[in-house]
Amino acid sequence: MSLEFAYYPGCAAKQIQREADWAARAVCQQLGIRLNDMPRASCCGAVSLRETKPAFAMAVAARILSEAEAMGRDLVTICNTCLQTLSQANYRLQNEPELLEKINAVLAEGGVRPYQGKIQVRHLLWVITEQVDPHLLRSKITRPLKGMRIASFLGCHSVRPVEIYAHSANEENTPHLDQLISIMGGVPVNYTGKDRCCGFHVMLSDKEEVHAMAAKNCLSAKDAGAQIMITPCTLCDMIMGSSQELAAKTVQRTIDLPEMNFAQLLGLAMGLTKSQLGISRLHVDPVPVLSKIGLA
Amino acid sequence: MSAQVYIFRIQRNMPGQVGTVQSHWQEYSVEAEPNTTILTLLEVIKGQQDGSLTFRQSCRSAICGSCAISISGRTRLACKTHVGAVARDGVVEIAPQKNQPILRDLAIDIRPFFARVHGIKPYLQEGPEKAGKVTSTAYDQVNHVTQCIMCACCYSECTMAEVNPDYIGPAALAKAFRFVSDPREGKKTERLRELSEPNGIWSCTRCTMCVDVCPKEVAPMEAIVKLRTRGLDKGYGDSAAAKHALAFHEDIVKSGQLNEFTLMMRTLGIFGSMKETAMALHLAKKGKIPSPFPHSIQGVEELRKIYASLERTPVDVETKAKQAVPE
Ligand code: SF4
Ligand code: SF4
Ligand code: FES
Repeated sequence: MSLEFAYYPGCAAKQIQREADWAARAVCQQLGIRLNDMPRASCCGAVSLRETKPAFAMAVAARILSEAEAMGRDLVTICNTCLQTLSQANYRLQNEPELLEKINAVLAEGGVRPYQGKIQVRHLLWVITEQVDPHLLRSKITRPLKGMRIASFLGCHSVRPVEIYAHSANEENTPHLDQLISIMGGVPVNYTGKDRCCGFHVMLSDKEEVHAMAAKNCLSAKDAGAQIMITPCTLCDMIMGSSQELAAKTVQRTIDLPEMNFAQLLGLAMGLTKSQLGISRLHVDPVPVLSKIGLA
Repeated sequence: MSAQVYIFRIQRNMPGQVGTVQSHWQEYSVEAEPNTTILTLLEVIKGQQDGSLTFRQSCRSAICGSCAISISGRTRLACKTHVGAVARDGVVEIAPQKNQPILRDLAIDIRPFFARVHGIKPYLQEGPEKAGKVTSTAYDQVNHVTQCIMCACCYSECTMAEVNPDYIGPAALAKAFRFVSDPREGKKTERLRELSEPNGIWSCTRCTMCVDVCPKEVAPMEAIVKLRTRGLDKGYGDSAAAKHALAFHEDIVKSGQLNEFTLMMRTLGIFGSMKETAMALHLAKKGKIPSPFPHSIQGVEELRKIYASLERTPVDVETKAKQAVPE
């Protein structure tokens, strides 16, 4: 069975966190997963549009879901917030027939094909750990991580609220990242910050608090022995990785915990090149850690 | 199902010199059926093994809220939680709630939590916006919020409260939503103005933790989302966070994509942006400068038409308590 999806990387992966998109495409090519671009898809509205314009937010999400449905594919993303926003809308549109009807009437005003509620919203991480043939996945790990200690930072929006993710994940049993770490030959690290928040959505308004959160969570991973941190979310990447140095300044401690998107580390374990995976764009240089196990 | 032995790893806390607590972990083993509650087993331990163990309880039926403690890494009601559901390899780790001062063992000083609840004025006020008539659907929005038992599970896990002790927090904000929504309340707009101030509705990270940990399905974050919508409708959109939120629909209608370049400038204003220069320069080190002109998506005119149509004829999509609460 070939795996083929409507691919929705999200705004961050198209702009600041482009390396996550490169890595996602590269590992999918290795695994025979086809990612079809969605030229009509807009920004999902993230957490904000549902606050400013709730009905418009629902219509924007339905229009994206409808495009994937017209392509005949489930939608796959690499951003936790896109995942939650679209899953939440999908959950309601699939369970509230009256709402679906109302929103389709709104879509018709813009000449958009009605959504029939037939597709699923998936995270690429779930696809890789649940849908890809495990033998194929294992066979692609040509540069195993040799017991490297890895902290998985789950990111709020791929695990909560449980209600909308009941089919695939829940906060107390979120095996995907740790499973992948084991498959890659790494050792998952247990630490208290694992299921906490990166703070991205208040990074401009409550900056000091966000830096305090990032510092606390990175340090708890580091204190538990993590050599590297991975996340399934381009927004978490932006805080835990790109802003880590700024966060460290607020707590007046060095953190220096290399952080990257899960797809980048998977790409490295598959023997893909650093430039293909945008490793040089990372703010905390992972090369010293990677070279210890001959990966860089 | 049959009885098995569980290890309870309990954090013991003793008050030391002023303002300090001495902590250590102590293990107890108890035999129980998997569907026995944690509270029952704490009583067994206290009654049969160690009378000095201190914890709170009262109703034993998830009504009073006094037994909320951290069980296997999550704050839960001890009287509503079955040991079999939370034991990991037969071990249950028990600690006091977080974000409030510890008194002894599992008992915390809950006054900071209640200070915040009292801070939002949890009572109806006389005023110009008091409605004379109350319709049968008037409480559809708030019925789930009124189920709150003030256990503070949400406050204990709140990711913002963890780093900002001045944040009002999920339960108090959910309660505030109940008063903003009550037709009999006389000062709805005044409430929204106050709630839009720092440490209020705009400081929530939207981490959704409170939605998952609440034992009564209050979904505090959903109440916060609705308070934000109502606050913006009243024109309280001056804070950085509110401006940030407002930028989204403008961008989507314009190009379909979020413009990360101008987002920062619009959110913080020109002086704010200058304060952000450190961040911008930091990102620029790695070539992470978003384009000021992201490509427009195909069919952006569809979104403009949809937007215009909704501005002409609003559609109500908000969840009602009936849908939000399965009980
Ligand atoms: S969603 Fe907001 S209120 Fe709820 S736990 Fe997270 S930060 Fe706190
Ligand atoms: S909102 Fe829920 S978790 Fe928070 S105090 Fe009320 S009942 Fe407890
Ligand atoms: S003892 Fe009252 S809620 Fe548990």
